[in-house]
Amino acid sequence: MGAKIKLSVEDVSKTFRIRGGQNSEDTFLAVLRHVSFDVREGEIVSLIGESGCGKTTLLRIIQGLIRLDAGAVKVDGQTVTKPGPDRGFVFQQASLLPWRSARANVEFGLELQGVPAASRRDQAQKLLRLVGLETSGEQFPHQLSGGMQQRIGLARALAIDPSILLMDEPFSALDAQTREELQGELLRIQRETGKTIIFVTHDLDEAIYLSNRVFVLGAKPGRVKKIIDVPFTGIRPELPELRGDPRFQEIRAEMWNLIRKPVPLAA
Amino acid sequence: MSITEIRNVSASASLDISNPADVEDLIPPDSSRSRLWIIRICSIVFTFGAWEILGRQVDPLFMSYPTAIAHAGVRLVQNGELFTALQSSLRSLVVSFGFAVVIGLALGLLIGRYRSVEAATDWIVNALYATPKVAILPLVILWFGLGDTAKIFIVSLLAVFPILINTISGVRNVPAQLIDVGNAFAAREDQIFRKIILPSAMPYMMTGIRLGIGRAIIGLVVAEFFTAMTGLGALIVKYGNQYDTASMFVPIILLSFIGVVTSSLVKWVEQRLAPWRYTEE
Repeated sequence: MGAKIKLSVEDVSKTFRIRGGQNSEDTFLAVLRHVSFDVREGEIVSLIGESGCGKTTLLRIIQGLIRLDAGAVKVDGQTVTKPGPDRGFVFQQASLLPWRSARANVEFGLELQGVPAASRRDQAQKLLRLVGLETSGEQFPHQLSGGMQQRIGLARALAIDPSILLMDEPFSALDAQTREELQGELLRIQRETGKTIIFVTHDLDEAIYLSNRVFVLGAKPGRVKKIIDVPFTGIRPELPELRGDPRFQEIRAEMWNLIRKPVPLAA
Repeated sequence: MSITEIRNVSASASLDISNPADVEDLIPPDSSRSRLWIIRICSIVFTFGAWEILGRQVDPLFMSYPTAIAHAGVRLVQNGELFTALQSSLRSLVVSFGFAVVIGLALGLLIGRYRSVEAATDWIVNALYATPKVAILPLVILWFGLGDTAKIFIVSLLAVFPILINTISGVRNVPAQLIDVGNAFAAREDQIFRKIILPSAMPYMMTGIRLGIGRAIIGLVVAEFFTAMTGLGALIVKYGNQYDTASMFVPIILLSFIGVVTSSLVKWVEQRLAPWRYTEE
């Protein structure tokens, strides 16, 4: 893994204003407070935390879908404020365009960039092969299973050849078996393409299995509580096997203690 | 159920799947569909038969019956009257419906997407939407006279609203996550409009067009009643005034035929354009 810094999040803060009704004041919700971290090139980082810790907001800020109040997001040292072809986004619900075939969905980003049809097609075919759906290109999203839709969502994000892939709980709506299958696929695709991946999840096992590092976020306001290095290197064994590893269990217990809400003692 | 019970069932059941009585179909058999058609045809034959028999008992001034209408139809076709009226009506219908579609879709897309356009127009849209448009027909005739212009104006006005209202709600109902996809892939505003909002709102737009055709035909007939110069509506008035009820039915039936054909045509186009919306049924 290169030690080069691919993405830096520098002192990012975000507060949402919630407009009150006619008789109530506006309230403010500090979602992120002074969040800073670096992500190295080719690294997979998971953002994990209890719900409401702002992990999805953070991901959307990095993508440029939400403006930040303070701080900066830098890709290769350059500040970014808007979505760009250097970052690809995979949504929680695959969010495919239902009127487009799988192939046309993969081509979407390239089409927006004005890439000619022939090279779009080539690129789409290459990516359909990468995600294992080269024969399903002409099918429409409603004809595909949830797992296949999410593969197309991944192919669509990869089609514009971004150096960073931002993934917002992409496997959370899938059944357990499909989820593990796609986790394995994602690791393979990452090895083949060398993309830097930032992965939001609330699944501890998924975070450990996929990542080089796990960033544990705390809530109210969201901030980085702890950065955990995952000790496994090289090609990992399958998740069920990995679960038996004592180091896995140790990290999992640590993360669990960081995330779970303090239980009030009985009086 | 315990394990032994399950074993018993599988042992005792000498299930023979080649025996059709043992297998339940998941899909209703085809015969039920053809049976429904037989019922439908019986119903049609019965209704027309009853109409024919009962219609003959009534004074022909008040009611006519199928064979008399058919004779009148042949006469109106032979003397060319029906064709002239049809041509005139269809011409007004096509022109005014064209206006309604263009204005309804364009304005609907803009009002649905841009708050400023909405603020500039919603008061007049709401006011006109709530007004029964035929109420201003006498005024329209004062402005434009009894010719085609008055017809075209009133038909366009009637047909534009379902198209407009449906297009607006089509744009409003574009799923936010699809707009998000456009934003995430750095789409420009015009690309979001063309590649996300337009296709997503398309089924609503087609529904508006289908409803608009119904309105347009009503508007056309009412306008032709008033102007009573040309078209199928005028033909109805003419034979009504002559107490020739059988002949009066001919343009009425033709109008209902036009209504059925056009709206099923639009429905067909609708399903071709948005196949993903019709798979759940």
